[in-house]
Amino acid sequence: MRIAVCVKHAVDEAELKAGSDGAPVLAGAACKMSTFDKNAVEEALRLKSAHSGEVVAVTAGPADARRTLKEALAMGADRGVIVGTDAPSADTSRTAGLLAAAVRKAGPFDLVICSEGSSDTYSGQVPPMLAEALGVPYVGYARKLQVDGSVARAERLLEDSVEEVEAPVPLVVSVVSEINEPRYPTLIQIMQASKKQVEEYSQDQLGVPTRPASVRVTHMAMQTSNRKRVTVEGSPEEAASRLVQALEREGVL
Amino acid sequence: MEIGRLREGVRARSKLLLKGPGGDDVLPGEAAEAVFRAASSLRPSVILLGATRNGRETASRLAAKLGWRCASEVSKVTAKAGELAAERSVYAGKVVASVACALPAVATVKTGSYQRSDAEGGTVEEADVGAVDGAVRLLSRKKKEAGGPDLKKARVIVSAGRGVKRKEDLPLLEGLARDMGGALGCSRPLSSDLGWLPEECHIGLTGVTVKPEVYVAVGISGQLQHIAGMKDSKIVVAINTDRSAPIFQASDYGIVGDLYQVVPALRKALAARKGPAPAA
Repeated sequence: MRIAVCVKHAVDEAELKAGSDGAPVLAGAACKMSTFDKNAVEEALRLKSAHSGEVVAVTAGPADARRTLKEALAMGADRGVIVGTDAPSADTSRTAGLLAAAVRKAGPFDLVICSEGSSDTYSGQVPPMLAEALGVPYVGYARKLQVDGSVARAERLLEDSVEEVEAPVPLVVSVVSEINEPRYPTLIQIMQASKKQVEEYSQDQLGVPTRPASVRVTHMAMQTSNRKRVTVEGSPEEAASRLVQALEREGVL
Repeated sequence: MEIGRLREGVRARSKLLLKGPGGDDVLPGEAAEAVFRAASSLRPSVILLGATRNGRETASRLAAKLGWRCASEVSKVTAKAGELAAERSVYAGKVVASVACALPAVATVKTGSYQRSDAEGGTVEEADVGAVDGAVRLLSRKKKEAGGPDLKKARVIVSAGRGVKRKEDLPLLEGLARDMGGALGCSRPLSSDLGWLPEECHIGLTGVTVKPEVYVAVGISGQLQHIAGMKDSKIVVAINTDRSAPIFQASDYGIVGDLYQVVPALRKALAARKGPAPAA
């Protein structure tokens, strides 16, 4: 089975700092593989070990995104594909278009796996848009996935229900973090990852025209918290009774 | 087939019920195709959907089919001068972004960001969109077990994190939740990794978003992904052994201490407040 897994080199939200104007400093901000993409890579590797075949990690992003590809390779992906772009993260339809073109060029694939959304902007738009761009079926929010010949079966985890669905391959699937526990690469795997092949496609090569961003971010500000941050001191008993008094004063008990 | 059900309490000048052959179980791919067909003749400027899992998928596919822009998880939405403008939270709730895009546009609206209207009225029309086939087949749909806590409606939530050492210790927190007239929730590791509580209890970016009167985080370090699910709570209380845990920055009242001592003390203090049970 040939599997493409899409990964994103995302801003590490935990490291994001405010500038003097109160806006987050995105230029040069620390980046990492989007948290839930590790589940997508893990699921691709799990299916490969059950069916044999190949796992190709695909990303669209700046040169630095090679680090995220390398992480996918260290986990066990066979090769990587990067589409060099400085398109903003908010331009989801563009990202989906670039990934679709890259998946077509590097393919064909039986299965394209994504995570349900990225840990930085969490729009969840790219996986369904990718399926539309490729013209293949889409199954979103899978917490279980199996492929049996030419049919994929999945359990979709929704807010209030769980659906069992099936769809023909090839298809795009997005997975939720409940689907598996991502592996940690060993030191040897990390070293070997550097030797694996990474191919770079330019936007021109893929024939995806540049156009203005679809959704623009016009302003950003750090979320301010108005929490009181009172430390309730004392022994457990003293602190407990002070806390109860405080909650009574707040009128919430 | 009916695409969505027209709910009580949806106030609109007119409502359109999309119909086609087939059963009532509509998947998002089919909903996107049906709305796409209706939108192609109605030509609206904005299509809004709720930012649920199915809503996100439907909106994204609809935008792709129509070639429109798609804004996600928005609140404070305005549409004027040919442009949709809105706010949304990004970077796990750490940043508020203003976003804008040209109309026509599709947008998913953050759940709970608007008061539900209870006004009635408006006309209902029906439109036949014909058969839609999304290539995905639904084999079964199971409602999640009722009887679990409805965290969205709970006035008080006591939430358990990795500071809880064993599954057998959860009744201690359940007891506290009961004493406070609330429900038990948890951070992601307890539901997703350890499986101690069902997934519906997971509060956070990829789980449930809640805003109770009181949120008591017990043994939760306060990862951004967790804060994203509870930051709109009225009062936040944190109990944690680690004084430097980020949860204290997101709390109104913090107790630095061992939950195994603090929670029983808190239960006693709550019982004392109520006083002895009146004689029958």
